[in-house]
Amino acid sequence: MNTSMSTKGSPRDRVTGTPFTRGLGILVLAGMALLIVLGLFVSPADVNQGESVRIMYAHVPGAWLAYLAFIVTAVSSAAYLWNRTRSLTWDRIAGASAEVGVLFMGISLITGSLWGRITWGTYWTWDARLTTTAFLFVTYIGYLAVRGLGGTHQQRARRSAVLALLAVLEIPLVHFSVELWNTLHQEASVAGRGTNVDMDGLMLFTLFLGVVVFTLMYVWLVLHRQRSLTLDDMLDDSGLDNALTARRAEGMKR
Amino acid sequence: MSHDLNDDDIGTSADSLDLSPRAVTPRQQRKRRPWPAIIVLVLVVAAGGIVLTKFLTSAIDYYCNVNEIGAKSGCEAGHRLRVQGVVDKGSVENDGVTTKFDMSFGGVTIPVTYDGEPGGIFKECIPVVVHGILADGVFLGDRVEVKHSNEYKAANPNRVKNEGSTSEGTACSQ
Repeated sequence: MNTSMSTKGSPRDRVTGTPFTRGLGILVLAGMALLIVLGLFVSPADVNQGESVRIMYAHVPGAWLAYLAFIVTAVSSAAYLWNRTRSLTWDRIAGASAEVGVLFMGISLITGSLWGRITWGTYWTWDARLTTTAFLFVTYIGYLAVRGLGGTHQQRARRSAVLALLAVLEIPLVHFSVELWNTLHQEASVAGRGTNVDMDGLMLFTLFLGVVVFTLMYVWLVLHRQRSLTLDDMLDDSGLDNALTARRAEGMKR
Repeated sequence: MSHDLNDDDIGTSADSLDLSPRAVTPRQQRKRRPWPAIIVLVLVVAAGGIVLTKFLTSAIDYYCNVNEIGAKSGCEAGHRLRVQGVVDKGSVENDGVTTKFDMSFGGVTIPVTYDGEPGGIFKECIPVVVHGILADGVFLGDRVEVKHSNEYKAANPNRVKNEGSTSEGTACSQ
């Protein structure tokens, strides 16, 4: 078994791990353990929200990493369109990042819904933040569906790159929705416009740790997914080669 | 090599096989419809339409503040409203069936009645959004949502005790 991406052998025999991603994976696990200890046990309960404030340490990093993932998708898509070589590597980074972004957005929606039930008294409401977030989530599910529409790899890359550059424009709308309109959702606590961070020190540190751990986890996931997408594309191509060989062999027998 | 090869099939001999680089990829050749992706896309467009409708009908200006009732367009009394205000200190009464409280914003106060017990972290001095209708000066709520602030303070027992002893008026300290 190869321990790294080698150029030999069938795509089926390869693995997506490298010494770097293994080290990163261990770091993610250690960081996650520390985040759980800090988030669930060491950091204090909130004066208003009680223990439920601990949901923040997954909810906020999830949302931020989804933003980051979709921005990376847009930048990679621009790089794909910009380069004359039309390198599919950029396209696969874009696709991998969008998949991970949808995952993180899902985490943020589920944790946010539970948090809302405890503090607001409702799982869901159609205020501007929740509505724009739902729209962003649906848009990127659509983006992933467009990637699965078929055609050549280059067709897939072109279609999805254009869509990614349009979809990323929704992010400022989501982020500033709490300032543009009256919302049930609170305003940005840390990255708001002209906001003074009004948060207990240990809470803020735990939140910061959550963002770091989620970022490392994002990098780990995207590296692996990007490599497995490369192998998918190679299998597609080798499938054609195999089919051609088989047809030729048939022709020769007759 | 060239036994009984059929001209129609692959040419007159193996040497005439076209071995030049392929022009089409297997996905094009297979011509299978990508039904899962198409179904997801249809669902996405439908869901996007619903979300957009919700955005236009509900999300823009989710609520009116108490002092905007009758003063701001869209906040006229007489139809369903969502009203935001801070629950007045000492105003919450609950007889087991109905909860009554006053809520204020911008110097204006309205009494609220709600059938049931508000969920979430409802308490006095916290901002809430009440869904309902204003009738004879009383806001009849059928849904209460707690709009907590973006302040995060450690629940420190000493500090809570101190705050309680210093602010005994009806105004909320926040």
